[in-house]
Amino acid sequence: MVPLHVVLGLSFVLFGIGMFGFLARRNIILMLISIEVMLNAVNLSLAAFSWHLDDPRGQVMALFVIAVAAAEAAIGLGLVIALNRNKPGAAVADITELQG
Amino acid sequence: MVQAVFYYLAVASVMSALLAVTRRNPVHSMLWVLSLFLHVAGIFLLLGAEFLAAVQVIVYAGAILIFYLFVIMLLDVPDEERGDRFGGHWKFAAFAGLSFAALAGLAHQSPLGEGASPEAAAGAGEGAVAEIGRALFGPYALPFEIASLLLLAAIIGAIVLARKKAGES
Repeated sequence: MVPLHVVLGLSFVLFGIGMFGFLARRNIILMLISIEVMLNAVNLSLAAFSWHLDDPRGQVMALFVIAVAAAEAAIGLGLVIALNRNKPGAAVADITELQG
Repeated sequence: MVQAVFYYLAVASVMSALLAVTRRNPVHSMLWVLSLFLHVAGIFLLLGAEFLAAVQVIVYAGAILIFYLFVIMLLDVPDEERGDRFGGHWKFAAFAGLSFAALAGLAHQSPLGEGASPEAAAGAGEGAVAEIGRALFGPYALPFEIASLLLLAAIIGAIVLARKKAGES
């Protein structure tokens, strides 16, 4: 099997891609999906540490991350639906009501 | 052999992630994210985390992603096909993502020490799942219950956010 730093490097690259997507996309749903990509990268590094240290606690942490991701998806998409009712479309640039 | 499978899964997941954040059509993006999740589940299997791989496929790919797809189809996002995919600041975003990956790679150069023999963990089979169960209902019982409370709060919050207000038609 491959050494730990290769798995961690894959996790960093995936996190960087998710970060780019979150910062660059204009569609709010795709920004949320980029957050899921980042959470998955973190899960990958937790699983890699769990495997390297032969300790199940890393996998337990990853399970909690998945639970939090599910909660985040529910709330985030609820917000998207509420926003969409006030203003059709999902571009973040259009949401300017809170601008001082 | 295992190395070849790992490198295939790694390359495929990076490609899927790149396509997912760059496709114009949100449904295509979603399908590439599905491919990313399945490949990461394969990497979990190689890392000896069978239970995590199953949860990844069932909860992430099966529940969360389908939920996103439902919302995309409900909303019928109108002008995503025509408008720009990225804001004008996408170069800075790419720089931020690249420099994060590079900095994280530099930061973990410090030796982490030799762990337990990884090959032994990978072949553990049923024992690994039993160990996770014991950890979840033993020392991690309180966080486990808090996670269920968090999910309950998220369900109620999503209903409150998404329902119509009483005054609206």
